[in-house]
Order: sequence, then structure tokens, then C-alpha cells
Amino acid sequence: MTEAVPDITRALRSVIDPETGRDLVAMGMIYEARFEAGTAYVTMTTTTRGCPLTEMLRLGVETALLAIAGVAMAEVRLTWDPPWTPERMEPVP
Amino acid sequence: MPGKSLSRWTMAWFGSALLFLLGACAMALFGLAGPGEWSRGAGMAVVHLFVLGWLCQVMLGALIQFVPVLAARPLAFPGLALPALAFSSAGIMALAAGFLTLDGHEALRPLFLLGPFSIGAAFMLVAVTVGATVLHRACLRLAEVRLVVLAMVALSGLWLSGAVMALTLAGTRIAVDLTEALPLHMLLGLGGWLSLAAFGVSYKLFAMFLLAPEQGGMVRRAVFLTAVLVVALALWALCLLLAGRSGGRAVSVAIGLVPALTMIYLGEITRLWRSRRRPVPEANMLWSRMGLLFLALAALLIVPGWQFGGVWAEAAVFVALVGWLSLLTLAQMVKIVSFLTWVQIFAPRIGRQPVPVVQKLSDARAVASGLAFWSVGTVVGCLALLLGSSGGFLFAVLLLTLGALGVMRELIAIRHLSHLEPAERPACLPHLVLPFTFSRARAEARS
Repeated sequence: MTEAVPDITRALRSVIDPETGRDLVAMGMIYEARFEAGTAYVTMTTTTRGCPLTEMLRLGVETALLAIAGVAMAEVRLTWDPPWTPERMEPVP
Repeated sequence: MPGKSLSRWTMAWFGSALLFLLGACAMALFGLAGPGEWSRGAGMAVVHLFVLGWLCQVMLGALIQFVPVLAARPLAFPGLALPALAFSSAGIMALAAGFLTLDGHEALRPLFLLGPFSIGAAFMLVAVTVGATVLHRACLRLAEVRLVVLAMVALSGLWLSGAVMALTLAGTRIAVDLTEALPLHMLLGLGGWLSLAAFGVSYKLFAMFLLAPEQGGMVRRAVFLTAVLVVALALWALCLLLAGRSGGRAVSVAIGLVPALTMIYLGEITRLWRSRRRPVPEANMLWSRMGLLFLALAALLIVPGWQFGGVWAEAAVFVALVGWLSLLTLAQMVKIVSFLTWVQIFAPRIGRQPVPVVQKLSDARAVASGLAFWSVGTVVGCLALLLGSSGGFLFAVLLLTLGALGVMRELIAIRHLSHLEPAERPACLPHLVLPFTFSRARAEARS
């Protein structure tokens, strides 16, 4: 995660995993988030490769990113390499 | 369209299955089935409404929904789901009516011949859609997919054994030894098709719902290889049966392997449960755990059931069908319906506005109450069968019916989003069962 771009992180934390109620960052589903020249780049995964929500989560992240002031474009890429495991989750506060 | 990777007909499969469940319960409440009465036409009709109408239809509908999740590929030929459902429902009703021929209702005899072929057409359509989705090298490396494929192989044996038994009972030229065929038919249906498909789907769903690491390795391979052995022996016995020879020894060995297969599977699921990251599992998993306990009980009852037959065999089959498969199905159905409803309504809002979590769509206490009735009904029914008590069995069916009605009421509440605050509910609620209303379909057809 790029700490220098807090707005992106905040946007990603507004998108929840509907199963657990935790946001995608806390779920460990965001592999990379950066901001370059008006474009937000995010690489994310889902808890399982065949997750029926995959495309909807990707679109949701894209929408949340485009809602940030200063973000003109958003590129959200999905990957399952490495695959998500529960160890990626942040501890419950 | 939200959830374009989801099958449109899952709710219809579930709705049809639940109607068959209620039909079977109602017939049993009228005393048409009970201890020692399973060989009567009405008793056979109740059993087949329950097993084919309820359990098989739920499993077929669930597979059409979850095979893309297991295989991480889109469903092939999704348009086959509706004709498969139509053939399946019509065939099951025809077969159940046909069984009444055995009680002297001769006019129903043609249905006895029609039923198996309509059911066979449904099985074939589902096999095409599931097979075309998963029969790829990468998918077949996955243990859960391999078990589902093996379950489909057992399903073909189940259908063939059932069809020749129906033809025998209908008095056609095709005739097999029914005393040899019956244990084989039950083994293929219960131990092969239904349980192996449940094992395969549970590997994925349990890990997802418990937030547990997906496991593999030696134990999962041991489950698969033992299951292959059971199905191979059962299919060999079926070949012998069709050739007019006895396959009793192969069936004995296969049934002897079932408790071992069950214990290895349960051992692995116990490990998965202990490694979960979700500290308090939801109602669907807590009651699935009860279903797993019934699976262990059924595996224990198989031993005296096969050795002594009679009430022990009846109790073993009852616990497997009602306690293991049905409780697991009812518990997971609540979750699946909640999830599908959530996707329909709230998925398009992700990232745009706050959305409720999936579990808010159901009331855990209402679910628990329905499933508790079902579980107590299973225990009472098992004891009633062991004691040969018709009154006790009737009481058990009453408890099961109340449990099923409780779960159905909750499923309707989930579809109507009744547990959400009014502000969280959309203006337009999802349809209860069909993916459209007839008025809208007519309007679309006209335009």
C-alpha cells in the first residue's frame, strides 16, 4: 500500500466485503494501490477465484476511486496470483 | 445485469424442491409412509418425492449455481437449466404417481414408464452443462471438482439402476432381481451421488463461510480415492445385475468402505473447522455441523444396517437422508438464498453507497428454531424406526414439517428483505421464485 496516497486507501476502505462486513483493505484483498498523473491504479483479488461477486467488486472499487477528488481515471486489475488466504486479513481491532 | 455469472433459475429449482419436500411430508402425515411400509406403492412414492423431488432437485440446482464457483469458469449452456427443471419436475411427479400402480391403481401404469425417461432427460441436460463447464485439465486438478464429477458418474448409475427397477416393477420384459438392485440403488444414490456432491461442494463453501485456508494434500486424495473405489464397485455390481448375475459381494465391499470414507472426510472437515478465521460461525455453519454429526451417526448405523437389515437399515438411511443431507441443505439454503438476494439487490450499489452485510437479510434465531425442529424430528424419527413405532414416526414427521415450514417462512422473509430497516429496502423487491413476472414476460414478448 502507498501511504502517500491516503485518499485512495480511504476510498478502498469504503468498499466492504458483504460476507464479513470488513473493508477490502482489512480483508487483505488489495495487493497494490498507487496514484500517478491523475490515474489511480489498484491491483486486487477476491477470496476465491470463482467468486460470483468478482466483477461487481471490481466495478465497485473503480466507482469508489473515481469519486475521489483529483482522480480522473481508475484502473482496477484483478489477480489471483498469489491466491488470497485468510492470513492476509488484518487482525480484528 | 448484476451477478451475470449467477444462474437465473436457482430460486426456481429451490422452490420446486421445497414444494416436493412439503408434498412428501404431507403424504407421510397422512400415514402413507412409516416403519415397515416402504415397499408399498404409496411409501415408495413418498420416498421418491423426498429423495428425487427434494434432495436431488436441490443438489442439481445448487450444482448449476456453484460449479462456476468451484471451477472458476462461466457456466456452459446456461439455457439448459430451465428445460432440465421442467423434465425433472414432470418426471418425478410421473414416477411418484406410477408407484401407486403397486397399490392397484392400474390406470397410472404408463406414468411408471414415462417417469424414469423424463428424469433421465433432466439428468442428462444437467450433466451436459456441468460437464462442459468442468471437464478441463486445470479444473480436474481441483479435489472439489473431481468429487462432483465422480458424483455425476454415480448419478448415471443411480438412474440406470432406478430405471431398470421401475421397468421390472411395471411388468415389462426387462427384469432384474429387485432384492439385489435395491441396496445397490440406495448406495449409488445416497453414498454416491448425493453425498459425494455434498462433499465436493462443502470443501469450497465451508472454507469460504468459515474463512478457513483451503486445504488439499493427502487426506483429500484419500477421500477421493476411497470414493472412486466405492463408485467403481457399485458400477461393477450394476453391470453384474444387468447381466443377470449377483453383484452382492461388490456391494458389500463398497458399503463396508462407506464408514471409512465418511470418517476420513469428517476428519478433514474438523481440521478445516479448527483452522477458521471466523471466530463465531454463522447459523448455516453451526447447523451444518449438526448435519455432519448426523452423517457420523448414519455411518455408524450402516454397519448393523448392512449386517441385519430391517429397522437398522431403515434408521441408517433415514438419518443419512433427513439428518445429514436435508439438514445440511436447509442450513445452506438459507445462506445461499440470502447471498443471491443480496447480489440481486445490493451488488450494483457496491462502492456507490453503504450496503448491508449478507447476514442482515436473515434472522439467525428464526433459522435456528426451524432447524432445531428438523433436528429433533430426525432423532425422534430414527428412534421410532428402530422401535418400529408408527405413532412415534408420525410425531417425527410432524416435527420435520414444522421445521421445514419454519425455514420456508424465513426464506420468504429473506426474499422480501423483511429483516432490513425500511430505509435499506429498495423500492422494487426481487421476485420470490421466478426471475420474472408473467405480466412483464408477456409485455416483453409483445414488444
